[in-house]
Amino acid sequence: MKFGLFYELQLPKAPGAATWDPDAERRIYHEMLEQVELADKLGFDYVFEVEHHFLEEYSHSSAPELVMAALSQRTRNIRLGHGIVLTPPGYNHPVRVAERLAALDILSGGRVEFGSGESSSDMELGGFGVDRSRKKAMWEEATREVCTMMTQEPYQGFEGEFFSMPARNVVPKPLQKPHPPLWVAASRRETTMVAARLGMASLGFGFETPEELGDRSEEYWRLVREECFPIGHAINPGLAVLSTFMAAETDEEAVRRSANGPGFFAYSLGYYYSPLTGGSHQPGATNIYDRFNALPSEQRDGRGPLVAARLMSRDQIAAEEPDDEVQRALFRAARSGQAIGTTDTIRRNIKAYEDHHLDVLVLVAQCGDRKHEHIMESIERFGTEVLPEFKERHESEHRPWREKQLSGVDLAINSSI
Amino acid sequence: MARAEKIKDAKLRSEVEEAYGQLRAGDPSGAVAILADAFGDLLVRHPELLELSTTVRGRAFPLVARWPAFGANLVFDPERAAPPRIEFIRQRFAVSEALTYYEFLVDLAVDQEL
Repeated sequence: MKFGLFYELQLPKAPGAATWDPDAERRIYHEMLEQVELADKLGFDYVFEVEHHFLEEYSHSSAPELVMAALSQRTRNIRLGHGIVLTPPGYNHPVRVAERLAALDILSGGRVEFGSGESSSDMELGGFGVDRSRKKAMWEEATREVCTMMTQEPYQGFEGEFFSMPARNVVPKPLQKPHPPLWVAASRRETTMVAARLGMASLGFGFETPEELGDRSEEYWRLVREECFPIGHAINPGLAVLSTFMAAETDEEAVRRSANGPGFFAYSLGYYYSPLTGGSHQPGATNIYDRFNALPSEQRDGRGPLVAARLMSRDQIAAEEPDDEVQRALFRAARSGQAIGTTDTIRRNIKAYEDHHLDVLVLVAQCGDRKHEHIMESIERFGTEVLPEFKERHESEHRPWREKQLSGVDLAINSSI
Repeated sequence: MARAEKIKDAKLRSEVEEAYGQLRAGDPSGAVAILADAFGDLLVRHPELLELSTTVRGRAFPLVARWPAFGANLVFDPERAAPPRIEFIRQRFAVSEALTYYEFLVDLAVDQEL
């Protein structure tokens, strides 16, 4: 199993404040650079950064290509993942996506991962005039063409439903051939299966349990082997799962340092993606952190139950989980403590993912009002005490398992997993 | 074994397989047409599916209302006097849209042991 860090660049407002400290955005951007630089030195495999627009407090990461360009010059080995680029043409013209991916691939020495998606918040769709009912079709058309732009010389032009253009040579071309590895954001099981059929790795936002992952993994790999008709020119088979993360000296200290991070992550995500709250958000006025803090503590975060039970077991969490898949993901994001605790606790919990053949565990460290120094210590502890043994087994056990899964597949593959 | 092969209802299984064949042949719009017909027919033959619910933010919603709204949309009778029907607001669909309809229908049938 490999490991990544995941960044929304969250920035809750101070309680009662109308806006942020004037230095706050500069601070979180530079803290992220430091965190990823440390992760790179310790052998973390990936950093994934979102693209979101207008989702104040939840995500201030609207130009990930610039952040990753900066990271490309401060890191050596860590893979720079778009987690994800919004590819419907209303957000980004496909040519600009292809050009930026290629330029970043050149600057980073071929370390780019091309994750793509659509988003579904009213703030973003409405802000860019993207039709909700057609966003998946837009994503598909644009993503397919971006892949072709990176390989065809010259690009022969396109007459599509959502964008058209004459023949042009889209330059530069990426270092990785035929193009960087493909990922797609998947918050539901069905999207993971679509990913398999289209030859893309699934960047799972469902906070799936190891057992669920096991079920999905079996079907995912079967589809890759038997029913894959790729969207790109090389497939990237793989499954990634997100988990909130904080390592410390004791379980209690990890929970304390975890603070409101997972709770605010889940609350603010649910706030923007719910048509009830997201659609009525008052830009520049609403203090989401105040709304979050006004909730009863049992709804606010996972600290109460986590502290009471030291760390809730999967059975305890499962007993309280909502039926709906997306609501369940939010619940788990707030309460699951699988990668929160001492390095021994974390090692024990995440081993179950390895046993179910997870490819990449993506750790959410920067969220809510967590402190930079705690995140740095957490990365350091995990990177020195947990990561090496998993990386070793990735090469000795998981890589041969993957090769077995892919036996008989005659499609071109470009994967860093 | 393909997940669709676990569908016990022979008519539905045949329709789903036909739709997937259309999809693989490069006709996602044709696939959606078949899947939408199959889903509408399934709701008539198995009205108990309309009683299934899922909880979203503390409120119960019909499970079948999760049928994707990409343009072959599920429309409920306001009086609930008739089964819901599929209304096409467009005829052209992408591969990923057709696959999402396909996955929804197969999952529903397999999960409900139909």
